Amino acid sequence: MKSSIEPIVGRYVNVTVGNARQRIYFEEAGQGRPVVCLHTAGADTRQWRSVLNDEAFTRSHRFIAFDMPWHGKSLPPEGFETEEYLLSTETYMETVLAFCRAAGLEKPLLAGCSMGGRIALQLAALHPESFSGFIAIEASDFQPAWYDIDWFHRPDAHGGEMGAALVSANIAPQAPDAERWTTLWMFMQSGPGVFRGDLSFYTSDDSLVGRLGSIDTRRTPVHIMCGEYDMTCTPEDAQRTAAAIKGSTLAIMKDLGHFPMSENPTAFRAYFKAALERVTRVPAGLMDA
Amino acid sequence: MPRVRNLRQRLDDMAAVLERRPHLLRLGRLFNETILIEVDQDEFYLTFEKGRVVEIKEGPSKKLPWRFALRAKGDALREFWQPLPKPGFHDIFGLVKYGNGSIDGDILTLVKNLRYFKEFMALGRKEGFS
Repeated sequence: MKSSIEPIVGRYVNVTVGNARQRIYFEEAGQGRPVVCLHTAGADTRQWRSVLNDEAFTRSHRFIAFDMPWHGKSLPPEGFETEEYLLSTETYMETVLAFCRAAGLEKPLLAGCSMGGRIALQLAALHPESFSGFIAIEASDFQPAWYDIDWFHRPDAHGGEMGAALVSANIAPQAPDAERWTTLWMFMQSGPGVFRGDLSFYTSDDSLVGRLGSIDTRRTPVHIMCGEYDMTCTPEDAQRTAAAIKGSTLAIMKDLGHFPMSENPTAFRAYFKAALERVTRVPAGLMDA
Repeated sequence: MPRVRNLRQRLDDMAAVLERRPHLLRLGRLFNETILIEVDQDEFYLTFEKGRVVEIKEGPSKKLPWRFALRAKGDALREFWQPLPKPGFHDIFGLVKYGNGSIDGDILTLVKNLRYFKEFMALGRKEGFS
């Protein structure tokens, strides 16, 4: 009989990013090649629960997923009560790098979804030396918002419930109800203004567009994945982005939307297995190096 | 006008199914609005009270006030109502994003009641409807 205690273990690590001391919650499972997993805007590490619980993956990989400050079990920094939370590309990159250093991770793979995929590509362009490869899920160079981000932080309505109702547009109809609603619950739980602050970065910073050409996939492979039902990062957005990164590969995923590892883990499994294999291969150009 | 009759019948059926969805009646308990659903050139004004559809009026009308409007192409809405719609047809915002519909009026009222309204619209997907 299978034990009811899952193999996932959670701990906290303290890092300083900019001038802010951040107490960051992370979960890990598995042994082998380290893979740092990044959640989407307005959510947390629980999006990765099925990957961290999948023996087929954890036999050969050590997955480490952390909650960004302000998200999940990572508290906002001291003084947050008077601060407007607005994530920036720079802070996001610094946070990922600081976490990897503090957790003692040597050149991990980086797998991020949505804004996590966006920052993975930014790091592929600007800090490739810190990673061994990138899996960018529901990730593209840039898309402007098709919604008003200010809807999600106002005194007369529940931003979490509105956010969940909006992002349900990005879940494929094939998603099982249990996984669909678990995925939406994270948005419902998101702290006030946090989804808005994430989206502010995601929908306004287009600095990646000009950097895609500088990503060297001979040193750090890049694999992009996109669900066919994703309306925020559409397959066309992902195709355009992959085309601008020489040597990158792309998988368009059937029956999946913007939260593939969370909304439908069964459908995501084969695509993620292929992604891990893809970024594990030694690039042909470096075989003799 | 079989087209209008079919649409009217589906909206009537959705209103009837709504009565059997206690969670939607709970979510919509503060929803008291008239909204316009326009399919191609056909107008339907749905009046909600405490989360229930209490009246459906057919247009055209230039007098009936409404809070927000969902306008969609008939073919797109039929695909939206399939059990497993194709990408882009699976959500009302998908219809808008890909040019198969539009939403206007008091959008904030829609967004505040978004889960309720989206689940109401999706009632047209339930088995037993043609």
